[in-house]
Amino acid sequence: MSDEIKPTDLQLTRRKTLDRSIILLVVGAVLLMPPIIGISLVDMKIGGIPVTVLYVFVIWAFLIIGAAFLARPLRDSDRDAAANTPENGS
Amino acid sequence: MLSVNVLFAACIGYVILLFLIAFIVDRRTRKKPIGWLHSPVVYTLSISVYCTSWTFYGAVGSAARNGFEFITIYLGPTLVFVGWWWLLRKLVRIGRAHKITSIADLISSRYGKSPSLAVIVTLIAVIATTPYIALQLQSVTRSYQVIAGEADGVTTAFWVAAGMALFTILFGTRNLDANERHHGVVAAIAVEAIVKLFALLAVGIFATYSVADGLSDIFDDVTMEAIRGSGDIFGPRWATLMFLSATAIICLPRQFQVTVVENIEERHLATASWLFPLYLFGMTLFIMPIALVGLDVMPTGSNPDLYVLTLPLAKQQNELVLLAFLGGFSSATSMVILAAIAVSTMVSNHIVMPVALRVIPASNEVSGDVRNLLLTSRRISIGLILALGFLYFYVSGGSDALAAIGLIAFVGVAQFLPSLLGGVFWRGATRAGAITGLLIGFVFWVYTLFLPSFGGDFILSADAIKNGLWGIEVLRPQALFGLTDMDPLVHAVVWSVGANALSFIVVSGLTRNNALEHLQSTLFVDVFRSAGGAPTSFSNAAADSEDLFVLAQRILGAEPARKLFDEMAQSQGLEKGLPHASDIVIARLERELSGSIGAASAHAMVTRIAGRQTVGMMELIDIADETQQLIETSRQLSEKSEELQNTAKQLRIVNERLRTLDAQKDDFLSQVSHELRTPMTSIRSFSEILKNDPDISENDKTRFVSIIQDESIRLTRLLDEILDISRLEAGMSQIKLRPMDANDAVIGALETVSGTTRTAGVNVKTDLDDGPVHILVNDDRLRQVMINILSNAVKYNSSPDPEILVRTQRVNSSVFIDIIDNGGGVPPEISGSIFDKFTRGHHEGSSDGAGLGLAISLAIMRAMNGNLTLEHTPENTNFFRISLENPTR
Repeated sequence: MSDEIKPTDLQLTRRKTLDRSIILLVVGAVLLMPPIIGISLVDMKIGGIPVTVLYVFVIWAFLIIGAAFLARPLRDSDRDAAANTPENGS
Repeated sequence: MLSVNVLFAACIGYVILLFLIAFIVDRRTRKKPIGWLHSPVVYTLSISVYCTSWTFYGAVGSAARNGFEFITIYLGPTLVFVGWWWLLRKLVRIGRAHKITSIADLISSRYGKSPSLAVIVTLIAVIATTPYIALQLQSVTRSYQVIAGEADGVTTAFWVAAGMALFTILFGTRNLDANERHHGVVAAIAVEAIVKLFALLAVGIFATYSVADGLSDIFDDVTMEAIRGSGDIFGPRWATLMFLSATAIICLPRQFQVTVVENIEERHLATASWLFPLYLFGMTLFIMPIALVGLDVMPTGSNPDLYVLTLPLAKQQNELVLLAFLGGFSSATSMVILAAIAVSTMVSNHIVMPVALRVIPASNEVSGDVRNLLLTSRRISIGLILALGFLYFYVSGGSDALAAIGLIAFVGVAQFLPSLLGGVFWRGATRAGAITGLLIGFVFWVYTLFLPSFGGDFILSADAIKNGLWGIEVLRPQALFGLTDMDPLVHAVVWSVGANALSFIVVSGLTRNNALEHLQSTLFVDVFRSAGGAPTSFSNAAADSEDLFVLAQRILGAEPARKLFDEMAQSQGLEKGLPHASDIVIARLERELSGSIGAASAHAMVTRIAGRQTVGMMELIDIADETQQLIETSRQLSEKSEELQNTAKQLRIVNERLRTLDAQKDDFLSQVSHELRTPMTSIRSFSEILKNDPDISENDKTRFVSIIQDESIRLTRLLDEILDISRLEAGMSQIKLRPMDANDAVIGALETVSGTTRTAGVNVKTDLDDGPVHILVNDDRLRQVMINILSNAVKYNSSPDPEILVRTQRVNSSVFIDIIDNGGGVPPEISGSIFDKFTRGHHEGSSDGAGLGLAISLAIMRAMNGNLTLEHTPENTNFFRISLENPTR
């Protein structure tokens, strides 16, 4: 990313990031809730680990990675939060 | 075998270490903030107080009993944190903006700072926290029993509770922070979070790779039943557990404390959004393996809740046992400390203090006393809460499964959810709705889950639990109103949360917000728009109001601004001082200002002050001053323009007159040329005949020359007249006025024309006023006018018996000289233009004048301050009247 970002780009990035954050949330919730989660209920093992367990942990890991990728742009696009930062912060 | 003494020493040492950390951090923070404490990692670790001994011990037990279901307790919070932008961010912002100290404070503030609502939320929190604290006591007691052998459970639990109470009091109430932040405690909790994660991972790795031979070995002979548990794992219970855990991470008093109240920087939430789920991921990674290894290795009948401890114990791993014990101890103590702090804050702020302040006489309210009172009430509250926890443990005798106890607490705090969500997202939510929802939800929770959890030992008998209160079947606590065939937990959630949400919505729809509720609802729901980034805590709100006031003064003027702000302060119920910079005030001010500076700039200026734009106050004042100058300039301009408009109007009128005059002049000139042309033409033609025709008779010659002469005389006269009238009209000829008798003037004039009248055979009569009629005139000029009129009267009189009457009379201050003939007067078609130049009478043929006579006469009369008019008589004829002022009057 270049240091000079045009305001319009910033606006677009922000909207896109917000979209992505809600998509991540919705996809995560749908995949981890019945009935969709029922698809993991098969008597099978991948790498010695039951599919049910693997399914949940893989989705969980993706959620964490997704949230980590979105955290920074979301945080930076929130000018109000920046304004809330105390001056004596590290 | 680990000795009890070593265990004791380790525990005491660990507690002292924690205390030192908290102590040092608190001291350092007061002097100078510590950098690493402000890091988002510490914030995240403090949130992990969510993982209590329920997680540390209970999750393994849950996994051993019910399979994979335990994971829901960690998936719910994961989703909430992944979606932090949509809810947690708002809660944190509101918490910071309104200096919220607890979830009870948040809910009561939102609903018009209602004290009754705060009390209800506090009581529910106390009751819901009780089983949760009992769970910690139970787990610490049991883990102690495992190592120390069969000690008496109740005695152990009592001493654990007492120790924790002391610990919490020492930790949490050493000082009072205005923001209810406890930096030292947070630091200690962060350390504990690392200890419990490290301990659980260590036990997990030991179980997986030392006891068993890796993951594939563990899962090798695992059946689907071990994973899915006894029932339908992905059914309503799964969804309910996800909902409950997601709710708990928001609504548990201690979670609210660490996430919202202890939040130092809003940006830390962004890091926590993935780091906290990652922590949970790490905590749960080895739970399933530990449970499966435990089930495989441990003798049947051993408590799966304690596998984390008993597994290393069975394998003679003393260091690991100690670590596991400390991990469990950490989980329990961190939860108890924070829960007790959070709930005691609520109890002392919302129950003890209001009562105490009412009881203690107002004069004794020295600040030190209040401070002591607050600290004392908190200490007592902490003791009370732990006592209640111990009591629950004592009465219920300890539940077999830790998870079941924890879930009771979860459902209890889930009662806050409708009021909380409704409060921050729905303006229409009312206090009455929140109170109704909370009370109904609470009653259902107590009846369907809390009381049955005692198994018949407390209030509800075992028979009542099984067969319904008083044997009424529809009142069965776990199949209420015939809702059977349902997991008791799902049943309780459906009834309590469902009835709570429904009544909250319905009552909110039926009731109205009062003024304060309305204001608060706006501030809470629109926290990102209204209050803004400069947190609208009390002092900052006042600063905003001040700024707005200064701005208004600059624009509206001092007195109107003061009046406006007084009015707004009164409408907010304030006796004196400035109004809070609420949305309503801002909107009102904006409207007022927009009257002066236009809507857009008013909006820009007001929102910049009230909002979070970083434009300084001075710049805004400059804008205001500029605007004021602009207003002044534009006012002057509009005055000028009005003046100019008037001048232009006058100019237009003058111009119009000039045009008329110009047209008249053109007219006059063309008429003059025409008048001059006629005599000139005859002079020229006769002189040409005389010059070119030699055979002309002498007789003719004489005649022609005399014509030329006549015409020349006429020309001269005409030019004289034109000159005369020009001078008169331009006011150039000064006429000298003398006093004289009007009668004398008439007689003189008549003498002059007597020759003409006699020739024409006109009979002249006079009707003169008695005595001298004084007038101020020029004798010669008046005579000229009269002769002109008289000769006209003679000339145009077509009567067979011509007659002229000259009359003088005095009317008020005027003197009239009327010249009346019996010739029928001036014909009506020319009577309007009789005084115009070159207007002649109806006898065209006999004309020898140029038609300037009357025009000259009028000009003369006007030059002598008199007038000449054509007067109409009732007999449909008219006469000329010379009017003059009577100077002797």
